[in-house]
Amino acid sequence: MIEVKNLVKKYGDYLAVDDLSFTLEKGRILGFLGPNGAGKSTTMNIITGYISATEGTAVVNGYDIYHQPEEAKKCIGYLPEIPPLYPDMTVREYLNFAADIKKVKRSDRETNITDVMNMTKISHVSERLIKHLSKGYKQRVGLAQAIIGYPELLILDEPTVGLDPMQIIEIRDLIRSLSKNHTIILSSHILSEVSAVCDEVMIINKGKLIVRDTPDNLSKHIGGSNGLHLQVKGEKEVIQKALSSIEGITQIEYEPNEQEGIIKLTLYSGEETDIRESVFFALSDVRCPILDMASTTMSLEDIFLELTQEDTNQIERVKEKTVQEDKVHEEAEVHEEAEAKEETEAKEETEAKEEAEAQEEAEAQEEVTVHRKVAIQERAEQKEEEKHAGDI
Amino acid sequence: MLAIYKKELKSYFTSMTGYVFIAFFLCIIGIYYVAYNLGGALSNFEYVLSSTSFLFVLLVPILTMRIMAEEKKQKTDQLLYTSPLPPVSIIIGKYLAVFTVFLIAIAIVSLYPIILLQFGNVPLKIAYGSILGFLLLGSAYIAMGLFISSLTESQLVSAVVSFVVILITVLMSGIVEMFPKDNKSAWAIFSVILILICLITYAVIHNVTLSLSLGIVGEAALTLIYFLRPTLFDGLVVRFFNWFSIIERYDNFLMGMLDLSAVIYYISIVFLFLFLTVQSIKKSRWN
Repeated sequence: MIEVKNLVKKYGDYLAVDDLSFTLEKGRILGFLGPNGAGKSTTMNIITGYISATEGTAVVNGYDIYHQPEEAKKCIGYLPEIPPLYPDMTVREYLNFAADIKKVKRSDRETNITDVMNMTKISHVSERLIKHLSKGYKQRVGLAQAIIGYPELLILDEPTVGLDPMQIIEIRDLIRSLSKNHTIILSSHILSEVSAVCDEVMIINKGKLIVRDTPDNLSKHIGGSNGLHLQVKGEKEVIQKALSSIEGITQIEYEPNEQEGIIKLTLYSGEETDIRESVFFALSDVRCPILDMASTTMSLEDIFLELTQEDTNQIERVKEKTVQEDKVHEEAEVHEEAEAKEETEAKEETEAKEEAEAQEEAEAQEEVTVHRKVAIQERAEQKEEEKHAGDI
Repeated sequence: MLAIYKKELKSYFTSMTGYVFIAFFLCIIGIYYVAYNLGGALSNFEYVLSSTSFLFVLLVPILTMRIMAEEKKQKTDQLLYTSPLPPVSIIIGKYLAVFTVFLIAIAIVSLYPIILLQFGNVPLKIAYGSILGFLLLGSAYIAMGLFISSLTESQLVSAVVSFVVILITVLMSGIVEMFPKDNKSAWAIFSVILILICLITYAVIHNVTLSLSLGIVGEAALTLIYFLRPTLFDGLVVRFFNWFSIIERYDNFLMGMLDLSAVIYYISIVFLFLFLTVQSIKKSRWN
């Protein structure tokens, strides 16, 4: 349906889109996710033919956007970041104009406009001037404009911006129902939206594709280990002892005490192991009641933050790791030589040292991950609080 | 194209612009008509048109300032340029809409000589010839205004620049008289113009080799002609700048001549600026 090849867009020396390639099949919903300035809108503007790429091209439905722009543009409905509305037109006039320039057949035009207005629930404002509409309605008129003529590919740049929660849900449902007959690309920096609507998510940062996967897979794979959040009544030492007997726990994090006698902690285990039952029995054996137990998989939000903020750090970390591994190899070689000389004592010493070093390293790394996770959680909590505040 | 045309024409008459333009236009022409033809009992309508050609300096910017700039400002150009319409038909649609507003005003004005008929003999051929000239002159200015509007997203900048440019073309025939006529200074002036052209080329395409070689080849050609056939440069500056004096050719119509070269000249100006407008919107999407 759509194929984007090696897209590069430069503004002077600034690289807005950096060698972006992807394809999308018919009937799928793809979500672009990225912080502000990641190149989402630029990419969309290039696909729709509004601006030209410095290098690379986009092929829509077999038509190249540069060589056969008219055919390609016929297959695309576009809702830009700022809906392109004429304030002095009524909604109906505007949609009529949009249908006209999109070359919708005159005979179909009336029914088409009525249908689209019903879909986006703007029929009751059809005779009002666009400049008198609220932001939410303007957004819907913009969306109606994109849908008109039922193009095969819909490109929606932040379609739910400026809508109230009720309207957001309506628009999401609308997008989902549209996906039966349309291929959709939408961008957003609201993660819940993308995970609620899209089949696939592409995370973009600094013009580069960081990862592309389904929302579920993203949280599974990048989330790594399973977490289990617990609230237990009892003494910390007793609980620690009880938990230490359970196999499969890779890590335990204690949260600072807030209430007397209640311990909050998070257990981590491997992806495949289920430790819930053994945790329950172990704690009931020492008579420490579990007040709350919930599994924590990494939300898309965490993944997003991790990937966009730390992608450069990650690369550096990988480099460091390989350097370390090299060192270990060198040391191993040294061992062999030592063995040849039958200096067993010296060998034991180096081994002991190495072990100690390895342990230190492991601990240091663990600390780093703990810090990171705590930081991510704190961020998530903050976000939640903000959301609550917003709801109230 | 038709969709754009209808939309633009409608927007002239849903906003005040169209009415203000026509009212102002008819008002000024009416004053001169009353003074010359009715009050002064002259039968020559071309006198009215000859005195009112300054109108374009004021009115064309009003008419064209918003035509492209507003779309950019409101981001509605995104709708137009992502629609299956080629840029050429968008520009032509817009141009025809402005032209239609101007044509409505001219259509009303062309009734005036007929009114005069009931008082006696009126040289209708000259009257309608000069109305035709007026129409052509206006269309050329409108194309220039359209182009200037496509360069900016501010209506004010667009209006001011159009005003200045049209004013210069009106005053050009006077300015030209002050230019030197000898061939040495002609050579110098053309060299300066050549350097300017090279700088502009460099600013647009950022290619040192091309703009530099253009400059060297051009300068060599200029110097060569200057030494071989210096007489070619005599009065060339005046002739050159007179070419830009758009209003100069309009005088022929007022004198009762149907100058075919002038008709072609105006039509080519229209096409030149429509072409430049299309290029300018294409280019702005490349940056």
